[in-house]
Formats: sequence, structure tokens, C-alpha cells
Amino acid sequence: MKVGLDAFILLATALFSVGLFGALSKRSAIMVLMALELMANAVNILLVAASRYVTPATMDGWFFAVFSLVVSAAEIGLGLSLVLALYRKVRTAELDRLETLKG
Amino acid sequence: MPEVNAVAFVVLAALTLGGAVMMMLTPNVVHAAFWLLEVLVATAGLYLVLSAEFIALVQIMVYAGAVSVLVLFVIMLTLRRREDAERPRNLSLPVAAMAAIFAAVVAVTTRAMRLPAAAAPAKAPAVAEFGHELFTRWTLPFEIASGVLLVALVGAVWWAGRGEDL
Amino acid sequence: MGVLLAAIPLLPAAAFALLGPMSRELRNRAKWVSIVAMSASLALAVVAFVQAWLAPAHGEGARVVFHAFAPIAPGGAFGFGLLLDPVSAVMLIVVTVVGLAVQVYSLGYMHSDERVGWYYAVLSLFSAAMLAVVLADNFLMLYMAWEVMGLCSYLLIGFWHTEEGPRKASIKAFLVTRVGDIGFALGLAAMFALTRSFAFDKVLPAATAWAPGAATLVALLLLFGAMGKSAQFPLHVWLPDAMAGPTPASALIHAATMVAAGVYLVARALPIFVASGVALSVTLLIGIVTALLGGSLALVQYDIKKVLAYSTISQLGYMFVALGTASEVAGLYHLVTHAFFKSLLFLGAGVIIHSTHTQDMREMGGLRKKMPVTTGVFTIGALALAGVFPLSGFFSKDEILASLLRGHHYAFFGFALLAALLTAFYVTRLWVRVFWGTGSDHAHEGHRVMLAPMVVLAAITLVIGFASVAFAGFLGHEVEWPEVGLAAASTFTALAGIGAGWWVYAMGKVDTAEVRERLRLLYLVLQQKYYMDRLYEAAFVKPFEKVAGAFAWFDLGVIDGAVNGAAALWVRATQLSWRFDVSVIDGGVNRLADAVVDAGERLRRLQSGSVQSYQRLVLGAVVLLLAWVMVLWPALKAVLKGA
Repeated sequence: MKVGLDAFILLATALFSVGLFGALSKRSAIMVLMALELMANAVNILLVAASRYVTPATMDGWFFAVFSLVVSAAEIGLGLSLVLALYRKVRTAELDRLETLKG
Repeated sequence: MPEVNAVAFVVLAALTLGGAVMMMLTPNVVHAAFWLLEVLVATAGLYLVLSAEFIALVQIMVYAGAVSVLVLFVIMLTLRRREDAERPRNLSLPVAAMAAIFAAVVAVTTRAMRLPAAAAPAKAPAVAEFGHELFTRWTLPFEIASGVLLVALVGAVWWAGRGEDL
Repeated sequence: MGVLLAAIPLLPAAAFALLGPMSRELRNRAKWVSIVAMSASLALAVVAFVQAWLAPAHGEGARVVFHAFAPIAPGGAFGFGLLLDPVSAVMLIVVTVVGLAVQVYSLGYMHSDERVGWYYAVLSLFSAAMLAVVLADNFLMLYMAWEVMGLCSYLLIGFWHTEEGPRKASIKAFLVTRVGDIGFALGLAAMFALTRSFAFDKVLPAATAWAPGAATLVALLLLFGAMGKSAQFPLHVWLPDAMAGPTPASALIHAATMVAAGVYLVARALPIFVASGVALSVTLLIGIVTALLGGSLALVQYDIKKVLAYSTISQLGYMFVALGTASEVAGLYHLVTHAFFKSLLFLGAGVIIHSTHTQDMREMGGLRKKMPVTTGVFTIGALALAGVFPLSGFFSKDEILASLLRGHHYAFFGFALLAALLTAFYVTRLWVRVFWGTGSDHAHEGHRVMLAPMVVLAAITLVIGFASVAFAGFLGHEVEWPEVGLAAASTFTALAGIGAGWWVYAMGKVDTAEVRERLRLLYLVLQQKYYMDRLYEAAFVKPFEKVAGAFAWFDLGVIDGAVNGAAALWVRATQLSWRFDVSVIDGGVNRLADAVVDAGERLRRLQSGSVQSYQRLVLGAVVLLLAWVMVLWPALKAVLKGA
């Protein structure tokens, strides 16, 4: 049996949804960042798979995926250092404690 | 291999999704970090199945190697006691529902698109070709990506280096 | 001539019109306007009198010197007219002379009163009205001016209205004379029904042709009116109370002029009375009863003004007796003489009261030493009243007695002599108590301005008696000098009365207290004025008050109740409206505002400060949008296409 692009799309979608769920519902900032990584991963999977199936010769999606990966890495590095800084300031990494914008 | 092995795909897909779900379900943050690691590795496997060796390697090196470790470091740094790792799970039904609907919509939509089902006919390019293209056709994005990394590095160092006052 | 005549009443009327609207301050200072007007009227009256005197006579009866009539509506019987004939000419002189004397006298008497200006204004109006009565050529105009006099009488009796006495007295006077006036009005109606006119020159000639019944009706009705104004029994009760007014006003109104108007009316309407016959007898009867009533009541009064008041009632009765004998001359002559000496007596009383600060004769005495002029003129007036020769009163009384004899009314003649006796007696009583004896050391003579008019009146009283024949001739009748026998009889009666009075009061030969005790019942009856006031009170006043009370109850309870009820309803309605406004309108607005605030509060929760919740909202929106665009709408389209 052959595995088609739609299988990868389904997988990527499912993975993305799980990550989305986590990003929106977890209380811990670190958990949220990890969930964001899941979402980024799902996107990468989709990119790679789509490129392989649709434009295998030019590898467009693969390059895209690489740069996406780079940006995600930068992002999570920065994000984690922010979490650290925040932790030092308010002694918590819980998102529901951060309500200063409330009004 | 020109064809995607169905078995391999199913196993890897199961590992990926399963790991992601477990990551969400576990109350322990440290466990969740490890589940993330598992997901990242399984993803690399998927890349291999897709004949994207270079990307699979990069995935391992960057994500599985550096990012996971970084995450674990920060977890340790923000943990006061061992018991704090155990947290309520915070599973929100409304959000789950919304995410599910979202998935469903996308699934339905892509179904209608009738995408190519068969395995990739052609052979996937080699890493050498990938590299060659990377530094010719994709030079500018490459340089910019480097810039991004530099900026992120500087920023991360600055943020993390600050003391009590922000 | 017409203008001249019209000016006689119009000048005092103008004085009233000027003084009336002024402020009190200004009016008090302008009172001389009234005196000027009166003086002018007097002058014009003299001119008119001379004219009348010199006018040639034509035929029997009164001669008309001047007559003018201006109807209100063309061809109608209603209008204003002026008639100058001997009767009116004489009356003009009487009214203006006495009027002016009183006004001059009042300068002194009312000097310190703070409303003296208004006093003069009303005096002027009164004079104007009385002069109009006298100059009227028809009964209707006479009636209208008559009513104005009634008003002035009310105003003057009640001049000091801050006190209860004058207030009640003025109302009593007005109401009692009003009763008479109703009779007068009905008489006018009957007159009009019979002749369709009010004019003297139409009604009086026609009266002779009326059926006796008709003539009697008209005459009696007119008599009733005259009885009210001239204080004849039983409508005399107001006159003694009217003494609550200022004394000079009493002198003018209640001695000389207004009360004489009734006599004047009957004198004018005498042809009607003559046509009736019955009316003459009634007049005679009423006159004599009144004369005796007045005389008897004057005996028991201690207030000097009350004595004079009852005396006036008595003398008016005499005049009516004269008229009852169909003698216009006798009645009017006594009216004239009485006007002069009675006003003199009142003015004198005023001076005495002013000087002794009391009206009670028991507190007076020996005034002849301190007040010689007053004593002199007063004595002249008193003797005239008693009917002593050669004063005017003697002649006029004599004329009446003569007329009684001529008419063969012997019984009435006897009563008339009795009345004369009483008159002489009470006059003496008054004189002795006031002027004889001792006491009143602090009395002082009156001021010149008060004495002068009295002297004038006294002078007139001295001489006018000798004009009796001329008077009668002037009026168109033949009269002779008093017959010796009659003169002797009347003089004897007068002297007897004076002597008796002297004996009792001056010489103290009779203990009056003992007499009072012996004749206790009689004294009581006299003191209670024959219980007439009590009778009227019970028979008329109290029932009327009850009826008025019933009406008041209706007015307050039903009418006012309805009005107040409607007002209360209105208040309720406005309250409800207000409540509606507050609860519904304001409530609506307020609730709307609250709803907005509430919505704001709720929406505020969106701003949770939690990034994740914002993200959830975004996701929700995106999912919705996506679901619609990608799935639902295409599905809907497909379904619609298929259907």
C-alpha cells in the first residue's frame, strides 16, 4: 500500500492541533513553549512531505523547512531566556499569575 | 527508497503523535520534556522515510540535541523543589474541541483537494545537491538566517544575564 | 339755565370724583375742594331760587320754572331730567345751606381724624345725590339718586368701621332702608304698568284718573319706601343706631336731608295719595304713631345724640301727619324749619361732646357758663323744637295742627298736641341736664369754625318762621297766619311741657329714680324701645342667619368640597404622572444605563490579562471562519444546488 501526501497532511494537522491545544491550555510557560515546538515541527513535516511529493527536484519545501527550523530554534532560545528572566522577577513561571494586563 | 514504506510510516506516525499526546497528558514537566525529545527524534525518522537525510540530521542536531537540552536546563532552573515538577494537567475541553474542529476542517478541506496519492516517482536529490543549492540559490535566506541566529543569541544572553531587576 | 341747574348736583359729584381716587395723604389735604364745590352749588342754588321766585305764576298749583329731559333711549321713558319748580327751589336752598354749614363745621370737628379726606369725599357725593333727588323730574331718577344717598349713609355711619358699633349700625341702616326701597321699586313698577312713564308731568296728572285701588297700591308702595328712609314706624329702628357716625354727618343726613327725602317723595307723589284716599289715612296714622313713639322714647335716653335721634323720628312723624292731611305746604314747611333747627341742635351736640368728651348727659351740666355761644344757639334750636313763638318751629308745627283741624281729624289733633307736650318736656330735660346746674369745669367753648355755621343756622331759625305765608304762596297755596286760638293752644302746650320739665329736672321736685321705680314696667318697655329690636332680631335676623348658614354649609361643603376634591384629584393625577415619569421614564433610562454598565463589566472580563485566553478567542474566530468558508458554505451550496 502506498502512503500518499494526504497521510502526511493528516499527520501534520493532527500534530499541529495537539500543539495548539497545549499552547492554549497549559499553565506553565515552558509547557507552552514546548507545545509551540510541536506546532513548528508539524509545519516542518508538512513542508518536507509536500516538497517531496510535489516538487521533489527543486526541493523548495526542504529549504523552507531548514530555515523554519533555524527560526524556531532562535525563537525557543530567546523564549526560554525570557522565561528565566521572568522567573527571576516574579518567582513564577505560571501564566495565569501574570495578570498585569487585566482590565 | 523511492517509495514510502507504509509500515515505517505508520510506526513513525504513531510514535510522533503518541509522543505528542503523552507530552500533553503527563502532569510532570520533566516527563513532558522527554516526551518532546521522543517526538523530535521520531520526526527525524519521518524525514528519513521521506529521503530528506540532511534535514533529518539537522533535526537531530538542533532540535533533539540542543533545544531539548535547553528546555531541560530551563526547567531545572525554574524548579525549586522536586515536587514542583508535578503539576495539574490543565486540560481544557473547549480548547480541545476547538483544536479538533480545526483539524477536522483542514482534513475535510484537503480531502477535497485530491492530492497526488502515489509515492514520489522520482528519486530524491542527494545531500550534495542540497548543499549546492543552499549556498547558491538560497544564499540570501541563509545569511539572513545567520543574522537571526546572531540576534537571538545576543538577545538570549542579555535577557538571561540580567539579575533581579529586569 | 339747564346747565346751571345741572351744575348744582354735578359740582359736588365732581368733587367726589376728584377726591375719591386720591391717596389718603393727598385727599386729606384736598378736602377744601369739597367745600368749594358746595359753596358753588349754594351760589347756584340761590340763583335758581331767585329765578323761581321771580318767575310769573300761571294758574293754580305749582308752576314749572324750568324743565328739561334727556332720555337714555330715544322715545323712552327712561332718562335724566331736571325740574325747577318752587318745591325744588326751596329744597335746593335747604340742602346747600345745611350742607355747607356742616362741611365748614367739620373742618373743626373732624380736624384730627386721619381719614378726613374720605369723609369730605362722601359728604360731597351725598350732597350731589340729595340735590339730584330734589332736581329729578321723574320717579326713576329720584329712586336712583335715593339709592346713592343710601350708600353714602352707609359709608358715613360706618365711617369709623374699625369699631364694632359703627359697623353694625351701618349695616342695620342699610338693610332696613333697603326693605323700604323694595317697596319703592315695586311702586315704580306699578306706576310704570299704569302709565308707562315715570315722569312727574305724566304720572301725576294721570293719577287722578286711576282706579282708587291702583292709586292706593302705588301710593302705599311709595309710602313704604318713604317710611324706610324717613325712619317711620316700623322702619325707624336704624336711626338711633346711626348715631355711631360722626356728629356733623348725623346733622346733615339724619336730621336735615336724607331722612327728609321720604317726606319730599310723598310730597311729590301727593296727587297719587289724594287719588287714593286710603293712603292718606295710612300716612296720617303712621305719622302720628311715629311721632308719639319717638317722643316717648326720647324721654328715657341718656345719650344726647340718641335724644336728638328719637326727636328726629318724632318730628318726621309730624311731617307725615301733615302729608296725611294732604297738605303739601305743611309737610314741606316743617321739613324746612326742622332741617335748620335740628341740624343746629346736632352741631351743638357735637361741640358739647367735643368739649366734655362724653355723650352721656348725666356727666354734663353747667355748660352755660363755660360755653355761652353754644348755649345761646342751642337754646334757640331747642325752643324751636319745642314750638315756642317766635321761633320757626312754632309756625311750622302750628301749620300742621291747623291742617289737622281743617281736615277734621280731631283725634289726631289731640295726639299731635300730646306729642308736642312730650317734645317740649324732653327738650327741657335735655337742656337742663346739659346747661343748667354745675359741673364740667374743664369744658371749653367750641372753635370759631364750628360756631359760625351754628350761628348762621340759628339766625335762619329765628326769622324763617315769619315766612310761612310767603312760603305757602310760593308753593301756590293760600295760607293764613296762625289763628289765635290755635296758636294759644299750641303755645300753652309747649309752655306746659317746658314747665313740667323745668319742675322735674331743674328744680328737682320729682325724684326721677323713684318714678322709674314706680313705673318700672313702663320704664322697662321704653328702655327696650318697645322691644322692637328684639322682635326684629327674632323674627327676621335669626331665621335669615339660619338660611344663610344653610347656604354657607352648601357652599363650603358641596361646592368647596367639589372644588377641593377636584383639586385633590388633580394633585393625585400629577403625583401619578410624576411617579410614572420617575419609575418608567427615568427607570427606563436608568435601567438602560445600568445595562450598559453591566455589559461593560461583563465585556471587561475579556480583558483578562491572560494571553492564552486572547489566543483562544482568536482560535475560536479562525476556526469558525475556516469552518464556514471551507466546509459549511460549500456544503450549503451543494445542498441547495441539489435541491
